[in-house]
Amino acid sequence: MAITFIFCLFLSRFFYIQVIWKDELHYLAVDQWTREIPVVANRGRIFDRNGVLLAGNSTAYSVFARASAVKDAEGSAALLSAQLGVSYEEIYKKLTDRSRSEVTVVRQTEKSTVEKIEGAALDGVYYARDNLRIYPYESLACQVLGFTSFDRSGTTGIEGYYDKYLAGKNGEILFETDLVGVDLDGATAAYLPAEDGLDVRLTIDYRIQSLAEEVMLRAQTESQAKAARCIVLDPNDFSVLAMVNLPSYDLNEIPRNDLSALNKLSRNSMVSDVYEPGSTFKIITSAANIEERLRGNSAALPESYVFSSARTRTVEGSKIKCWSDHANGKHSNQTLAEALNNSCNPCFVDIALALGKETFYDYLSAFNFGRATGLDFSGESIGMLLPESTLQTADLARVGFGQAIAVTPLQLACAAASAVNGGYYYSPRLVSEVRSEDGSVSERIAPSLLCRTVSEQTSSILSGMLEGVVRDGSGKKAYIEGYRVAGKTGTAQKYENGVIAQGKYVSSFVGYFPANAPRYLALIIVDEPQGSYYGSTVAAPCAQEIFRGIIDIMKLEPFGEG
Amino acid sequence: MDRQTLSKKRQYGDLLFLFGVTALAAYGLVCVYSASSYNAQVQYGDAFFFFKKQLVGFILGLGAMIGISFLPYGKLRRMGIPALVVSLILLALVFVPGLGKSNYGATRWIGFGSFTIQPSELAKYGFVLFTAGYFAKDPARMRSLKGILPVLGAGLGICVLIILEPNMSVTMCVGALMLGMIFLSGVSKKSLIVICVPVLFVVPALILAEPYRLQRLSAFMNPWASPKEEGYQLIQSLYALGNGNLFGVGLFHSRQKYRFLPFAESDFILSVIGEETGFFGVLALFAVIGFVVWRGFKIARECGNFYGYMLVSGIMLVFAVQSSLNALVVSGCIPPTGLPLPLISAGNTSLVVTMAGMGVVYGVSRQTAAREQGAVFSGIPRKKRRAVKLNKKS
Repeated sequence: MAITFIFCLFLSRFFYIQVIWKDELHYLAVDQWTREIPVVANRGRIFDRNGVLLAGNSTAYSVFARASAVKDAEGSAALLSAQLGVSYEEIYKKLTDRSRSEVTVVRQTEKSTVEKIEGAALDGVYYARDNLRIYPYESLACQVLGFTSFDRSGTTGIEGYYDKYLAGKNGEILFETDLVGVDLDGATAAYLPAEDGLDVRLTIDYRIQSLAEEVMLRAQTESQAKAARCIVLDPNDFSVLAMVNLPSYDLNEIPRNDLSALNKLSRNSMVSDVYEPGSTFKIITSAANIEERLRGNSAALPESYVFSSARTRTVEGSKIKCWSDHANGKHSNQTLAEALNNSCNPCFVDIALALGKETFYDYLSAFNFGRATGLDFSGESIGMLLPESTLQTADLARVGFGQAIAVTPLQLACAAASAVNGGYYYSPRLVSEVRSEDGSVSERIAPSLLCRTVSEQTSSILSGMLEGVVRDGSGKKAYIEGYRVAGKTGTAQKYENGVIAQGKYVSSFVGYFPANAPRYLALIIVDEPQGSYYGSTVAAPCAQEIFRGIIDIMKLEPFGEG
Repeated sequence: MDRQTLSKKRQYGDLLFLFGVTALAAYGLVCVYSASSYNAQVQYGDAFFFFKKQLVGFILGLGAMIGISFLPYGKLRRMGIPALVVSLILLALVFVPGLGKSNYGATRWIGFGSFTIQPSELAKYGFVLFTAGYFAKDPARMRSLKGILPVLGAGLGICVLIILEPNMSVTMCVGALMLGMIFLSGVSKKSLIVICVPVLFVVPALILAEPYRLQRLSAFMNPWASPKEEGYQLIQSLYALGNGNLFGVGLFHSRQKYRFLPFAESDFILSVIGEETGFFGVLALFAVIGFVVWRGFKIARECGNFYGYMLVSGIMLVFAVQSSLNALVVSGCIPPTGLPLPLISAGNTSLVVTMAGMGVVYGVSRQTAAREQGAVFSGIPRKKRRAVKLNKKS
């Protein structure tokens, strides 16, 4: 009786272990039955919009050894030493180091070397593919491309944001072994192939990017500026054609030892940092006013409206001055077009106040200020907008000409593009396609319209005025005969710790062409130029150079005057 | 079945029992080869190293089993006390320096050159012989507590010597055997309780006495708490069993035998069997073991004399208790201890002695059959045989 009972007891226990518990046990057991050698997946490459390689791989190999499986340590060490050029003693030590199950004999070695080693069929010596990331154009678009960590996973930029596509999936060679790691005879080594990463195709045009970098570097050097930045956008779908942040660094020689320097250098300021846009923001104020007038808002000022010639406006006891002294008939009896030409601050105070807080903020919102643009890039800043509920009228007046508001360069470029492209605000993008190695497209990132900002008519009227700014006004230095360049300059004083920093300016220019149907839009920012600091003299010429370069590259015929 | 064939069959004794035992031992031979071949190749350069040893044991065991079965078991009656004395002496010899051999931190073997025996394997049967003889001499003894005392003394003496080796599992085995035999002898319930209660206290005390037992006990509760040390053996056993599932991975295809599972060919051979033949394989194996035990007790019941009854029951108890303990260890129901699965596990002492014991049982069945044929008659009157039967049922 008792024996039967005990038999039933342990038999039911066997049943529990063998039938119910087995999956968990098996999962744990498989781990100890095999040793893995990684097969590193090829990381996907990054191309520009025309297929120029911006980030690729050089295939290298790593040689591993498992001391417990090494049979002829002396012979193996001699052969490896001869092939790899590493000292015999060092290799011998690794081959006999039984304290670790697996040691790396050498990393990043040539395929031909590995083939020779493989031919010798040494017991306990294995090799696996390893990848080294190569950036053929070194510092080109470095903040946009980003870099990978030591384990080849993307950390910053496109490498980071699109890592899930680029990374691929590492494979493994599984060797069935006994307890101490000796391969079992006749046991088949399972091979789980690596899945290579997918290639990413950027919207960036290598030619425009390198042209813009060249121009901006010259500008930075000439003006001894702290930084020089630029974005070139296709206003028709907000594809980023170039994004420049200077100073830059060589992606092949990343200063990994100096983290703070690396953080600074690798930061994409066009996306992650904010600045006070200054007069370039007047594009938005004008667009809002024209749109409101067309919609029949009687508070909006008509284009024929003549602004007061006074140099100052006093709002809530706060006195706002124009940058110009208004002496000798300067800035007198201006219409909106002339106010843009002259970049006269008081006129835009008038507009902001005429539209009122509510209406004006509706437009800020429509132009996506205070929100991320949705660029496919990590770390986008939303900018700084004073909350509408607590906004003082004096602040509203300043926002009218681009003060008391902080935006990212990307936000401003996108807002300006939508103001002049017919009122279409797209989600900006850096990547257009993800492709597999054989070239078939596995995912396409199509342009997506976020919202309408203003009407086609408003856009057309505004664009005419901005063309005038380049033809007759402060943007003259961006003028290119026959190509209908339009734009707006900006010169903003920098604040440090809440007070105006004397002698520190941000010179900027938003330009595009052709004015009637914009194809290229550029935002130029020169940070803290020495000497001349006006957007009209420092930034506008850069836009002209870039546009000339684009005309050459794209072989564009003149569009004729409008 | 006509009377002629029936009687002929009877003459050969319980052949089913004999076949069962032989089949188990033969199956053990195959299992030992499967479980040990890799390790034998690595350690001794000969995949058949353990198999050959086991084959020698199998042949010796077979010879012993057949040989002993011809011996009139009545003669064993007088060997009770000498067997006990020899057992105790051999157990004591383990502690004599030079003779005793240590392995895995315990001194459990006596060595004569390359030949080693494990006295505790013999002592179990020594105890059976003694107890059967003692009770049979004067069945009245078992009615009083005083009468049982010599049996208790012999059992405890063996236990103490074995536990000093130390060998907890064989101690438990002998303890269970002692209780089982006293129970089967038909002692009064009162005596049984008086004996059992102290045991309940002794076992925890023994566990607490040796730190390594406590560690094993805690490892048994949660083997994954120390997967590299105490829990290792049990985890490996569970991995093997888990890998077996319902039908097993196939004979010779164990993955755990590649040196992951310690003592795969001896104490933990059941893990390998469970892995290779699955739950149904284990079930079938224990069906055969159960069948052998059942036939054994049937022989005991039908032998017609009290001594034979006690002797056969004792031998079958050894076999059944040890098989159960091993299965309980392997499946993690009780803390791991070193105890072979009789007839299956590698280990010649165990195999030969077990088979010799089975030879005694088979001999009893033969002699019973022969007596019923009328060829031999030297036993207890029919009436008394009935009494024995009733006694056993109580």
